[in-house]
Amino acid sequence: MLKFIGKRFLWMLVTLWVIITVTFVLMRFAPGSPLDVDDVGMSEQARANMMAHYNLDQPVIMQYFNYLKNAVTFDFGPSMVTRSREVSDMLASGFPASLQLGLVTLVLAVISGIILGVLAALRHNKMIDYVTMFIAIIGISIPNFIQAMLFIQYISTQFDFFPTAQWGTWRHAILPALALASGPIAIIARMTRSNMLEVLTEDYIKTAKAKGLSNFQIVVKHALRNALLPVVTILGVLVASIFTGSFVVERIFAIPGVGQYFVESITNRDYPMIMATTIIYSTIFIIMMFIVDVVYGIIDPRIQLHKKEE
Amino acid sequence: MKKKWFMLMFTLMLSMVLVLAACSDEGSDSEEADDETPDTEDEATGDSEASDNVIVLNNESEPTSLDPPIGNDQYSYDVLNNMGEGLTRLAQDEAVPEPAMAEDWDVSEDGLTYTFNLRDGITWSNGEPVTAQDFEFSWKRLADPDTASPAAQHSYWIAGAEAFNSGEGDEEDVLVTAIDDQTLEVVMENPTEFFPSITAMPQLFPTHQETVENDENWAGSIDTIVSNGPFKMVEWDHDVRIVLERNEDYWDAENISLDGVQYEMVDDPSTAYQLYEDGTLDIVNMPADMKETLVESDEAFVAPRAGIEFQRFNVNEEPFQNQKIRQAFNYAIDSQIIVDRIIQGNENIADGFVAYGFLTPGGDDFRDVAESHYPYDPETALQLLEEGMAEEGYDELPTVTLSYNTSDEHSIVAQAIQEMLVENLAVDVALENSEWAVFMEAQQGLELQYSRSSFLGGYNDPINFLTNFTTDNPMNRTDFSNEEFDALIDASYEEEDADTRFDLLLEAEALLMEEAPFVPLYFYNHTFLYKPEVNNVVRHPVGFVELKYASLD
Repeated sequence: MLKFIGKRFLWMLVTLWVIITVTFVLMRFAPGSPLDVDDVGMSEQARANMMAHYNLDQPVIMQYFNYLKNAVTFDFGPSMVTRSREVSDMLASGFPASLQLGLVTLVLAVISGIILGVLAALRHNKMIDYVTMFIAIIGISIPNFIQAMLFIQYISTQFDFFPTAQWGTWRHAILPALALASGPIAIIARMTRSNMLEVLTEDYIKTAKAKGLSNFQIVVKHALRNALLPVVTILGVLVASIFTGSFVVERIFAIPGVGQYFVESITNRDYPMIMATTIIYSTIFIIMMFIVDVVYGIIDPRIQLHKKEE
Repeated sequence: MKKKWFMLMFTLMLSMVLVLAACSDEGSDSEEADDETPDTEDEATGDSEASDNVIVLNNESEPTSLDPPIGNDQYSYDVLNNMGEGLTRLAQDEAVPEPAMAEDWDVSEDGLTYTFNLRDGITWSNGEPVTAQDFEFSWKRLADPDTASPAAQHSYWIAGAEAFNSGEGDEEDVLVTAIDDQTLEVVMENPTEFFPSITAMPQLFPTHQETVENDENWAGSIDTIVSNGPFKMVEWDHDVRIVLERNEDYWDAENISLDGVQYEMVDDPSTAYQLYEDGTLDIVNMPADMKETLVESDEAFVAPRAGIEFQRFNVNEEPFQNQKIRQAFNYAIDSQIIVDRIIQGNENIADGFVAYGFLTPGGDDFRDVAESHYPYDPETALQLLEEGMAEEGYDELPTVTLSYNTSDEHSIVAQAIQEMLVENLAVDVALENSEWAVFMEAQQGLELQYSRSSFLGGYNDPINFLTNFTTDNPMNRTDFSNEEFDALIDASYEEEDADTRFDLLLEAEALLMEEAPFVPLYFYNHTFLYKPEVNNVVRHPVGFVELKYASLD
């Protein structure tokens, strides 16, 4: 197991290096510079001074090595757009909001997704099945920003219980989490349903029935367990994208999360921020992939992490 | 088996506990904040708001920086203008400078030397006195190449500052000197009769020397920020809000009616509008797609803003090397339609380049005194186009591409103009849009033949607009170069007499319009909604929101 983790860790470093390098190259091929973003008619001289201040006047290869150094030390320096703040401070102050929203979303998505999926499978081709799948289709086909706007317009203005927007109490999290979760709920529900349907026809389910186990035991202990495997796979991807915030939903609800940095840093050509967000996103993604692999082994002991070791 | 299930369940439980813990934690935070700031709930119920006497407005975004020479945009200076103060401040009724940190000032005979006398007893928020040395330090810092200020050119009025900024001169040669703690002497590059307007700009606000020298990022945190204006910071929740309260030590504190100011940071215009509707915000920008109805509402605040929407030609690229063809485009575009049907904020159409709001020495608006150019006139347009094409020997006009940065509004305006040009000149213009950073680089690199553009005035003088089109000015971006125009602008800089100077500026604008390196479309407006209880929030054509005089009923 340790050997497996060590090997994966090395691969993770290589992957990160490749990602950093590719991002750097793409970033520099994109036309435009962070200094042009606010069009204030800067004098030529002021522009040159800023280039020097942010080391943009150095040869590109030097800038690349600087970047690598910054990436290793996790010190990205000040943002080129929010100029009095360090990139790491900005991300650190934005992460709690995105993380909280992400966790609420995730719990909501996983629990309701699985419950809906199981219900639909157990009542295959009955009313409940149609209703849940209809909800799922709506959830996945209406983009979350439209849902967000509809929620503000029709729910928060009607019920004082839900604040219109902004962040602060747990009540602020409900509507944005709902908007963010509806897509994943739909995906998880549909996946759970089709896997359950498949699993429920297996011989061992019949055996379990013949043994006289209760329906609940059969579903939870025998069927669901196998049906969840593919769900776990997509969960890894989902977690990475949910925890790094959602630009659109955070913007619409005015939530001070990190989602904005992932998108705006690119349009602003805020090089240090682009680099930081890239590294964070890929790290979370890679770690989630690793966790998913480990969880596979737990759910299905037939999957060997360290094959052919004996 | 069981153990593994247990682990899974445990992880799930753990994450739920975390969520709950995190949320309840947040909740208690905001309760603490409730004591000092108005809460959304309080406001939704109505009554408590007035007694709070704190005005809540939307800053849209986190300030770029509250460090005077670094911020250089509206997100920063709308806040800084009320937290800090320069030697002067623009008056409540008109955009004319009034004494602020300076009690008064003297100008030498030749108009080159200004001596500012600072008030007694002015202090920083840390209790230390504001001194002439702070101003000297701050202005030299603005010019210092190591500060890398994007606003450095606002120091160039001071003799020696431009040379210092370019690394050619020394700091000692920047002629701003603290004679003593309360006397600041500035020697100008040229006689600059509007310099007291310049000193009202946030770029030239003083900074506390010791604070700045201790920490380069002093303005990024409430723990280190030091200010000297009508309000001081009491809360800064990054990307959420900034709360200021009345600075009781401010020299004019007795004339400030508000207890405080709260800037929310809500980026999305329609969410901000919803927050205005539910009473969270007292002031909000009108969302673009609702302007048509909102400008007519009782809560509308619509006033000229010193800025212009226009289109640049590259005057060295075919077919726009020809003046008559450029003029033909000017006559063929009906800006009134664009304002009435698309922009819908009651904007004035641009019949010149200098916006409304700049007063001549006689007290008239420069725009009213200046000539009006290019009324919508399709017949003249067609005639000029034919003449121009004959001059160049064109049978057919070379392909014209209109470029703009990607946005719904720009796209609609571009399509309307495309339609007008087909109809009036039978010229089929191609449209091309690109993302802002890409667009900017192309425009600055003179790669665009015909492109949308905008300009926002920074200080209170028409030269601010006109100087853009001198040869090689970074805002020129048309490759336009005219010796006569450059000479007029230079002469205006050197002119001591205000009336003569304005005559030179009027002449320069007329010449510029005749040469037509651009198509002016319309002048900007401030378009806000103010709750009925909001009074005296000052928005001049130039400058930033002024809350010193504001009050709530």
